[in-house]
Amino acid sequence: MERMLVDAAERIFRDQCSKATLDAAEEGHFPVQLWQLLCESGFQLMAQPDSGAELADVFAVLRVAGRFAAPLPLAEALLANRWLGGADEDGVPDALNTVGIVAQNAGRHWRAVPWGRAARRIVGVAADGGVFAGSPLAVVEATNLAGEPRDQVEVRDVRPIHSAEPAHALLALARAAQSAGALDRVLELGVGYAQEREQFGRPIARFQAVQHMLAMVAAEVAAAGRAADAAIAAVGSERFAFEVAVAKSRVGEAVGLVAEAVHQVHGAMGFTYEHQLHHFTRRLWAWRDEYGGEAHWQALLGRRLCALGADQVWDFLATSS
Amino acid sequence: MLQFDPVRLPKGAEVLRHEVRDFLAANVDRIGTPNSDFSSGHDAEFSARLGQRGWIGMTWPKAYGGAERSFFERYVVTEELLAAGAPVSAHWIADRQSGPLLLGNGSEGQCARYLPAIAQGRSFFSIGMSEPGTGSDLASVRTAAKRVPGGWRVSGTKLWTTGAHLNHYMIALVRTAPPDGNRHAGLSQLIIDLAAPGVAIRPIRNMAGGEDFNEVVFDDVFVADADVVGEPGNGWSQVTSELGYERSGPERFLSAFRVYVEFVRLLGLDPGRFEAAAVGRIAAHLMTLRRMSMSVAGMLENGKAPNVEAALVKELGNNFEKLLPEIARAAMPINGDQERFRRTYAETLLLSPSFTLRGGTREILRGVIARGLGLR
Repeated sequence: MERMLVDAAERIFRDQCSKATLDAAEEGHFPVQLWQLLCESGFQLMAQPDSGAELADVFAVLRVAGRFAAPLPLAEALLANRWLGGADEDGVPDALNTVGIVAQNAGRHWRAVPWGRAARRIVGVAADGGVFAGSPLAVVEATNLAGEPRDQVEVRDVRPIHSAEPAHALLALARAAQSAGALDRVLELGVGYAQEREQFGRPIARFQAVQHMLAMVAAEVAAAGRAADAAIAAVGSERFAFEVAVAKSRVGEAVGLVAEAVHQVHGAMGFTYEHQLHHFTRRLWAWRDEYGGEAHWQALLGRRLCALGADQVWDFLATSS
Repeated sequence: MLQFDPVRLPKGAEVLRHEVRDFLAANVDRIGTPNSDFSSGHDAEFSARLGQRGWIGMTWPKAYGGAERSFFERYVVTEELLAAGAPVSAHWIADRQSGPLLLGNGSEGQCARYLPAIAQGRSFFSIGMSEPGTGSDLASVRTAAKRVPGGWRVSGTKLWTTGAHLNHYMIALVRTAPPDGNRHAGLSQLIIDLAAPGVAIRPIRNMAGGEDFNEVVFDDVFVADADVVGEPGNGWSQVTSELGYERSGPERFLSAFRVYVEFVRLLGLDPGRFEAAAVGRIAAHLMTLRRMSMSVAGMLENGKAPNVEAALVKELGNNFEKLLPEIARAAMPINGDQERFRRTYAETLLLSPSFTLRGGTREILRGVIARGLGLR
């Protein structure tokens, strides 16, 4: 099941996520065609309990979306549809729902709402775990450092959603999964550029300094990917929040090192807007901070380990597979 | 790109894990001050007790004293021993490296002669690769063997030979024929009895004050034909495949683990956010490395030769072993009983320069990874 979904998603992203589409999205143009294709294939409902897909499959698809920097709030739309439950009340099948951060329980000004300007309904997630539904009333447009819409939205008709799911951790996992995909792509771009670009009469890949930077990048990317995959596999398990903590921490650490090194490999070319590299590195820089940066998740995990006591730490670490 | 597939330990592995923990509790008298560095505690008695339990040579055929258990079961035993800081260095090389080398390339006679004693924890081996003029450039070895009736006469010097003064044998990479244009040709691996006439072993003191590595000088030492591993001249391909086994195990990221345990002990049950984040950061690295290392064990179990993946685990793991004491030190609170932490930290820090040298330097490993990426 997972493989089929991932392959289908990959075909759509590969066709649709051109540099031009990414640029246009950053100008504020919602990628309508991409969203319609995803809806025609049923992806907008794949996180519904009755979709036939596992929740873990959703994150496998998000990993691929990250690989292509798919410029739409797929994670938010899928999870919002899950938490809102069933088909849209107004019967609009392609309506975009999204997720925002509720600063205080039941507050009406939600922030960091991906594509809040285009959303029909919004799920608000509070830091204390509360989950709410609302409809947009007024929007102040804003973006993250990757130019992805992260709007402030005043909402109406707020009602609580009674979900037993760890909404905040699931959203954090979404960012880790997207980042793992984007990291794979950044490594590919770095290796490809090093093989093409010639200086001193040979590809820069032939220089040991470049080889060692990219070897380090490959190691970081592999570690980040393994951590993200382990957290995806832990969806629904008792230790889920701790596995998300591992993933968000490990991915976040990899992002800084990888983005720095691959930009260095690309030289001035990768610093231009014309080159596609920044669409990935800026997203990585933005995503590592969204839904809790490294310190937030590390402290959550570290408190748990300290509470177990020094002589129980190994047992906790060794009961993960 | 490189693929690290998840593995799930078989059910029996968890039963085994608790057997190992019970064993460690019963043998706590042999552990002393726990140190998770695989090369830091040579205890023949402890190794013999492990051998009695069947925990050395676990994956080998029963005919040679092994237990025919899986790589995953071996993984569980080794990680439990390291995490507890048990003294494992006496049998470590023989179990991890020499035994598998003999099984893969040695004669039936060699397997029958050497493997059962290794599995019993009574026969210990050293690695004979480095020399005074040979470090990363392994093919430059100058220790040479001359043909004589019935065998070879070996002369030369091996360096940084851990445990040579305590172990029984060395498997040495030596030149048995001139390179003839191909410097990887003409190399062979010989089993050398370290008690043989003509072998001189001198200790080399390391910066931590230990004397566990040595200079070993061979002066016309006789080695019988029966102790040549594999075909004469095939040493290079044997030694490079041997390195794959060496590079990805839990000893490549657990060397500093006891520092972590003492750090958590020092912080107590309810640390501040900054200290807790340091604990969590280390855990995130460790859990991820463990999973990657187990993925490589899974590849070995499936008969693959994951040389690039193993190099990558070692690269990440060794960097982490150095990062761990650094994170803990920088986050150390000013209050609390610091004695135990400081002792373990200092011991590990002084050993840490070796972490990214032994088993292939970081620079060599990055070269292996770069080749895997198609950069060279």
